Amino acid sequence: MATVDSTVRAEAPVRGRGADTSAGLGPYRLGLRRLRRNKAALAFGALFLLIVVLCLCAPLYAEHVAHTSPNANHVTETVVVGGVRKDVVSPTGQPIGPTWQGRFLLGADQNGRDIAVRLLYGGRNSLEVGFLATLLTMVLATIVGIVAGYTRGFVDGVLARVLDLIWAFPVVLLGIALGTALALGGISIGPLHLEGNSLLVPAFIIGIVYIPYVAKPIRGQVLGLREQEFVDAARVGGAGPLRIMLSEILPNVASTIIVFVPLMIANAILLEAALSYLGAGVQPPNPSWGTMISDGIRLIPSAMHLTFVPGLMLVLAVLGINVFGDGVRDALDPRAKVRLEEHAEEASR
Amino acid sequence: MRVRMRGATAIAVALLLAAAGCGGGGSDNGSTSSSSSGGGQEGGSISVLMGTAPDYLDPQLGYTTQSAEPDWITYTPLVTYRHAGGTAGGELIPGLAEALPEVSRDGLTYRLRLRRGLTFSDGRPVKASDFAYTIMRAIRVNWGGKSFFTSYIDGAAAYDSGRADSISGIQTDDATGDITIRLTQPYGAFPNVIAFPSAGLVPRGTAMRNLSNDPPPGVGPYMYTQASANRGFTLQRNPRFARFGIPDIPTGHLDTIRVTIVSNTQSEAQRVLNNEADVFDAGDTLPPSLLPQIESQARDRFSREPIPSTYYFFLNVTKPPFNNAKARQAVNMAIDREAMVRLASGFLEPTCWFLPEGIVGHPGNDATCPYGLDRPDLAGAKRLVQESGTAGAAITVWGEERSPRREYVDYYTDLLNKLGYKAQERIIADEVYFPTIGNAKTDPQTGFADWIQDFPNPSDFYLLMDARAIQPTNNQNFSKVNDPHIQAELKRLNPVPATKLDSVGDQWSALDQYTARRAYVAVYGTETMPKFFSDRLDFDAAVFHPTYLNDWTSLQLK
Amino acid sequence: MTRFVVRRFISMVLVLFAISVLTFLIFQVIPNGDPAQRMAGRLSTPETVAAIRRTWGFDDPIWQQYLTTMKKIFTGEVISYTQQVNVLDQIWQDLPATLSLAIGAGIIWLFLGVVFGVLSALHAGHFTDRALTVAALVGVSTPVFLLGAVALYFLAFKVQLFPNGGYVPLSQDPIQWLYHMILPWLVLSVLFIGIYSRVLRSNMLDTMNEDFVRTARAKGISERRVLVRHVLRNSLIPIVSLWSLDFAAVIGGGAILTESVFNLQGVGQYAAESIRQLDVPPVMVVVMLGAFAVVILSAITDVIFALLDPRIRLAGS
Repeated sequence: MATVDSTVRAEAPVRGRGADTSAGLGPYRLGLRRLRRNKAALAFGALFLLIVVLCLCAPLYAEHVAHTSPNANHVTETVVVGGVRKDVVSPTGQPIGPTWQGRFLLGADQNGRDIAVRLLYGGRNSLEVGFLATLLTMVLATIVGIVAGYTRGFVDGVLARVLDLIWAFPVVLLGIALGTALALGGISIGPLHLEGNSLLVPAFIIGIVYIPYVAKPIRGQVLGLREQEFVDAARVGGAGPLRIMLSEILPNVASTIIVFVPLMIANAILLEAALSYLGAGVQPPNPSWGTMISDGIRLIPSAMHLTFVPGLMLVLAVLGINVFGDGVRDALDPRAKVRLEEHAEEASR
Repeated sequence: MRVRMRGATAIAVALLLAAAGCGGGGSDNGSTSSSSSGGGQEGGSISVLMGTAPDYLDPQLGYTTQSAEPDWITYTPLVTYRHAGGTAGGELIPGLAEALPEVSRDGLTYRLRLRRGLTFSDGRPVKASDFAYTIMRAIRVNWGGKSFFTSYIDGAAAYDSGRADSISGIQTDDATGDITIRLTQPYGAFPNVIAFPSAGLVPRGTAMRNLSNDPPPGVGPYMYTQASANRGFTLQRNPRFARFGIPDIPTGHLDTIRVTIVSNTQSEAQRVLNNEADVFDAGDTLPPSLLPQIESQARDRFSREPIPSTYYFFLNVTKPPFNNAKARQAVNMAIDREAMVRLASGFLEPTCWFLPEGIVGHPGNDATCPYGLDRPDLAGAKRLVQESGTAGAAITVWGEERSPRREYVDYYTDLLNKLGYKAQERIIADEVYFPTIGNAKTDPQTGFADWIQDFPNPSDFYLLMDARAIQPTNNQNFSKVNDPHIQAELKRLNPVPATKLDSVGDQWSALDQYTARRAYVAVYGTETMPKFFSDRLDFDAAVFHPTYLNDWTSLQLK
Repeated sequence: MTRFVVRRFISMVLVLFAISVLTFLIFQVIPNGDPAQRMAGRLSTPETVAAIRRTWGFDDPIWQQYLTTMKKIFTGEVISYTQQVNVLDQIWQDLPATLSLAIGAGIIWLFLGVVFGVLSALHAGHFTDRALTVAALVGVSTPVFLLGAVALYFLAFKVQLFPNGGYVPLSQDPIQWLYHMILPWLVLSVLFIGIYSRVLRSNMLDTMNEDFVRTARAKGISERRVLVRHVLRNSLIPIVSLWSLDFAAVIGGGAILTESVFNLQGVGQYAAESIRQLDVPPVMVVVMLGAFAVVILSAITDVIFALLDPRIRLAGS
């Protein structure tokens, strides 16, 4: 989608490594201090962490509390709730609501699977996709952004156009198209082969799709940086372009990168949910928050827990990391001259 | 008939307008409801809601139930079906022909004579040559089932490929009304073929292109007075039809039937529940979240009607693990059909036979399912899997996306894992599903499959068990069954003319029981469709036809 | 200047070309995506399939198929594989729903985004600001289809305030049209309001510290005038350019999720269904339309900015 290209906005100079900072405290220590004073950001960051930990404990919960696994069906079984024996799934297909007991704590879905167990395993999948995608995005976008911004000329031209290309392609449509293509056949690039229902597939798609969101601002920032004196100094000193990119440019965009990470994680999780809703994300029967929400929408009037439970979890997780990410940005860059691509979030419209 | 239920599937964010004023609130249809004593009133108009648009309203193109419902009663073919429910609805009766066809001893020649004095809805007289033209039109506009014509009628293939200007195998005499059809090979189900709505007569000279927005005239109790392919259409009683006095084809009670395409089955159902519309199209899926309400508030105007269909999991017998008979038997033993019914929100009737109820040859109540019907034996099945030596095999289970088919496969995959296999799902889009699993390159081990009758003839179902039908692309015999006994029986039974099916019913039944014992597939159910009306209509008098669903000629206001 | 414009134009054409090729190739690469098979139906014979392949040119080399498809698109003759209807006709039918959604939501989110942003900036650090920021963050963290589903549940089911999705054409019944569009507008806007209000807030806070604002204050101009004349006007520029791009994106099928949830049968929904059905022609048309809208607006924006800011022109060369 769209936002203001950073090259278009006026840039304030960012302190180079060679520049002078307040005695004793580097920008990161300063940022950390500011972050620590931001109670809201810390609280929400802790919320996100809590959710991550809970999801990591999925196997423990499944085995010891719910006594089932995420994909195990219990369609014709019964469970005793408050002394009454009830069907997990009624003869006309209505699943049971939350029992607030060990088994089916948060209810069952139409296949009689335990929602709480799927919620945690689904969280694992959603978070895993989110983290992997973000990793892919950040690594590639940093490389592309720095190379494009520094080398300029032809290479930059090509890279910028490729970024434009990915950018102009409606994100969700691209995601669906790739997701459908890959779900059918998996990816085969040289020696690398991924089966259609591997989690790496949606991670790969989401990772690629978000590259322009990060690469463009980085490129913009690098365009400004390379005109700085310390870069000239390094060049005069005999350093080659690669060396300069690594030792002079990279540290200066580091704070931008750090600020982007939580934002991208949030967006990746949201896009995964969107793709799963449209059937192109995590493949059945594996749960993810997006697939659970999508499956539950059919039955909202009679079984709203199917949608609300994963939905709430998703919102809390994303909110947690968004607020934390805001805090990180405020801490590292309070003047916030570099415009962040918050519009990446529009992808999950 | 292929029931292609597209439309508001993945989307339905299901919400209801509360049924606060349910019961009352009948909508204004512009008809005077003077009640008559006894069996309902004549005349009046109703509204029908369809959640999926008919693929085509053009009679020679339509190939889904949504198009068959109106076309059946607006374009009568030479032969048609009895307007009754259940097995009786599968009986062939003369339509525009005077009598059922005379079939020659070798099964290659069919003779019929057109009734005298017939006219189309626009007044033009019907001639025998109109039949030949109708078949040519169906081929020329590329009807989805045209292979039924081109594969069997002599000269039809040549016409299709452009090598001939007409079909040499159809001879007609307009003066006498005689029609003679020559086949390339004997085909017992041929009478069913000329009973398709696409063989419903249209006047010679009708343009050979999609006329869905302006359907041609036909002969039937009703006629189109307005049509807009994606939005809706209107049928009106055809005044000329009653004069023909064709026995066994009702002339209809209602004056006007207004069909509207709605994109959301939830609101579609809600409107019928609130009596704001009269018929919920039987070809649509009732949103499961609305069922509790419907069953409590509208019990006297809602029922589930079976249609001859088979829902099963195919088991590819040419590769592991299902080339092993014990493995296949284990699956049949372990399937919990009650679970499948629940996944279908109750719209499935459990069965183990490949030939469904309503088709001649369905084994019925006297026969016992070889691997059980309603008491799944998971433990026994696991033992069988161990014995077979196939335990631990990797299996890819294929399935369609839409509900409840995906849920069926979710359940099935989990079942295979419980049996000791390592099963994984592959869910793909509905549109590409059958071409994908029918492709030799995919060569799937197992997965979802269904078959809904093209016509009420067992040979239609056994196409899927016929070794000759196996082909590298667009294969329908997914289990790749190649059984000499089945081939021998089919060779004997297929040529029996559809008009004489009852005489070989026992033999089809024996064949079907043999097939079940061989466990080439795992059958679990027959689909049921919702018969759901407003309270203005006489529910019990309305006929639910096994092939054409709601018989609109039987609908009557109370 | 002209060189800049010409260069942007050329790169725009190249991008559109690349997008069309990319879209086309994705579908070629999909296994078992043979459209002839699907069109022929379950009971087809190999001859039927072969005939279809001939008619549609599926046996031609890929580049030729691409050219044929592009030609069909530009002459308006493009037919979809699944329904075999004219794609452009179908899009034309679906466009009013998408336009209604985009325009209505666009106005709402621009207006409310600005209002909330201004309020936030004015009361920076105080309760109003915090409350609005929290609201914005929640809005930005909620997937739109979830919000739509929840909204429908509470407002169309529990309390029948709104209809259960669907679209009523404006020409058919203006009141019903409005009634059906309110929820989709609000749901789609929530996300953008959250984003825009925060961006505007940041911009305004930054601008308020700029020298020229301090100068204006020093000159004795009233705070209110300072705000509107200087701060707001300056901060709005990026918002407006953002808006035009987002708006274009929504029209180009970007609001798929909102359209799906409310079943508006718009262009986005059509595109999504076509993709899942591996129906190439509609997807290509919609994607290109959308990309075209975005790219053109992006180019125009860049040109305008270049006109306004000489530094950009030079930096971009």
